[in-house]
Amino acid sequence: MKKWGIIAKHEYLYNIRRKEFLFVTFGVPLFILAVGGLPILLMGSTMTQEEYSIGFVDKTGLFEPLNFTEYADVEFAKKDLLDKKITHFFVIPDNYTVTGRINIFSAKRDFEGSRTIEDQIRDFLLGNLLKGEKGEIIERAKKPMNSEFFTMDEKGEISREGIFTILVPIAFAMIFMMSIFTSSNFLLQGVVEEKENRVMEILLSSVSYKDLLTGKVIGLGAVGLTQVLIWKTIGITLLLSNPIVAAIVLDKVNISIPILVLASMYFISGYFVFASIMAGVGAIATTSREGQQMAGIFTITGAMPLIVSEYIIANPNALLSKALSFLPLTSPISMILRLSITEVPLYEIIISILILVASTYLIIELSVRIFRASLLMYGKKPTIGEVIKYVQKN
Amino acid sequence: MEHKVEILHASKSFSGQAVVSDISFNIASGEIFGLIGPNGAGKTTIIRMLLDMIRADSGVIRILGSSLSDGIKDSIGYLPEERGLYRRLSVMDTLNYLGALKNKPNKERALELLEKMGLSSHRDKKIGELSKGMQQKVQIIAAIIHDPEIIILDEPFSGLDPVNTKLVKDLIIELGKEGKTILISTHMMDQVERMCDRIFMINRGSGVLYGSVSEIKSRYGKNTIFLEFEGELKNIAGVRKTNLSGNYAELALEAGTDPQDVLKSVVEKVRVNRFELSTPSLNEIFIQVVEGT
Repeated sequence: MKKWGIIAKHEYLYNIRRKEFLFVTFGVPLFILAVGGLPILLMGSTMTQEEYSIGFVDKTGLFEPLNFTEYADVEFAKKDLLDKKITHFFVIPDNYTVTGRINIFSAKRDFEGSRTIEDQIRDFLLGNLLKGEKGEIIERAKKPMNSEFFTMDEKGEISREGIFTILVPIAFAMIFMMSIFTSSNFLLQGVVEEKENRVMEILLSSVSYKDLLTGKVIGLGAVGLTQVLIWKTIGITLLLSNPIVAAIVLDKVNISIPILVLASMYFISGYFVFASIMAGVGAIATTSREGQQMAGIFTITGAMPLIVSEYIIANPNALLSKALSFLPLTSPISMILRLSITEVPLYEIIISILILVASTYLIIELSVRIFRASLLMYGKKPTIGEVIKYVQKN
Repeated sequence: MEHKVEILHASKSFSGQAVVSDISFNIASGEIFGLIGPNGAGKTTIIRMLLDMIRADSGVIRILGSSLSDGIKDSIGYLPEERGLYRRLSVMDTLNYLGALKNKPNKERALELLEKMGLSSHRDKKIGELSKGMQQKVQIIAAIIHDPEIIILDEPFSGLDPVNTKLVKDLIIELGKEGKTILISTHMMDQVERMCDRIFMINRGSGVLYGSVSEIKSRYGKNTIFLEFEGELKNIAGVRKTNLSGNYAELALEAGTDPQDVLKSVVEKVRVNRFELSTPSLNEIFIQVVEGT
């Protein structure tokens, strides 16, 4: 095995067994489940148990009781409510047809139930107001439309639009950003720690700076990817374990194979651009916290396309959108956004991937020089001037 | 090949300050070579230049006849002055990993060396669970796990107790007998003077002495007395300088003084347990050279 391979393997195995790694990898999904899942579980349990019986006081004289209880006066309704004969009652004032104002009373707070109550009252009011109409019309009035957007291009071809078209790029962007954030952590820690525990000199007596850095980027990068993969698996399993959600996702999201392949390519190459930057930052930083701060600049730049995503979606072929899909830090997200909205010429895809690969290589080269110059200066951070000097000197 | 390591006119300065200036020496095949000098003299910088971790500003450095490549790195074993290992890795895993990086993972040799250094019962422990001295011994094993031709040891005795110091010394002498070329860098000159064939003595970045230990010592003559005594020692005629440490003293004689006269006057003042006429220690020679006497 090449020496960088040995280092990558060591870094991967050493870090994947860390307590911190296991804690974050399995703790975060558990935490999200606890925070997000618990209220839904609780909500579900209260909703199914509750049965509502609703009363009303009509001051207009226009309404028939249907399935509700009518009271001649507010006082009677109040008494029945307090005696728990009904759960809610509402008052239709005499100027209702002008104002639409309805006051609903209940004996206890019930936020989750209020939507259901409102729906039932709305249906009751509609049913009464459209008394003379056919049942079908009443039903339509209750839910007048069930719509979907389509876009027509110059050739007259029609394609679906709306939230589901950009679901793939948004999901891609989320996972991409998440991977970068978590892996940058590993890389920074890995490189800074090496300086702190002073194993560096032993390693450098066996391998070159470049092998060391390449091995670290690949090994620690793989650790970050493993974490994201575990999260994705957990997420997809949970999503698909709910048949209703799974059906919606499979029906609405039309994921095309070419986009999936390109997304993986952009993901991997974009990921390694960031990983190599993080290793370089780690080489300059003296503590991981300091590294985090410096790394923040790059991760925010990476998130740029998300911030201007609305513009890119609206103008996928504008100059800014194109520029963002060529720059190495922003191209992965920008290009996937553009690809899922418009036809991007093949040469643009090839150029932007080539830029990504070339920048990974260049950044590693550059990092090696900075690394070489600053690594043995324990505890001292080189100034920007010194960094420039190192890079030129070598 | 006669010279395993050659340094010709190497200089290095950090931000304008000369750390090593115009150093030249070579290490012959199979010799134990001492790079000695006080702290901050530039020893570690020289070693880092040898290993191409720091590049010399000028001069030529050759190892095994050429400049350092990855292949040559595989035949060098290195114990850095800055000690450190992965704390959460076990002793065996550490040795396997560092051996693999030299392209020679060798489990049997690892076990053999652990046995020799009295560490075999600790082989599955994590590095972080070991004492400092044990960690240092593991690191020394790591430096020779791949049976290297050239062994570079930077301050191999620092932090070791007398028993372990002897263990390491014996190991170095044994490696020397096996024909390895060994470079020991240390500020503890007494530790190496009986071990080394030749030395290069450095002070403030410049070489001050270079040659075989016996040749250097004889150059300074048999004009030193090692004395062990009880009592208070002072004002002895014919003694140029006295290095006192407890009940032990190293007396440098003035030119023309008869050691017999010194013995007579010493006996009058203190109870003598040992009286030995010898060449000066490297320590004393170093002091003489630096003070220019």
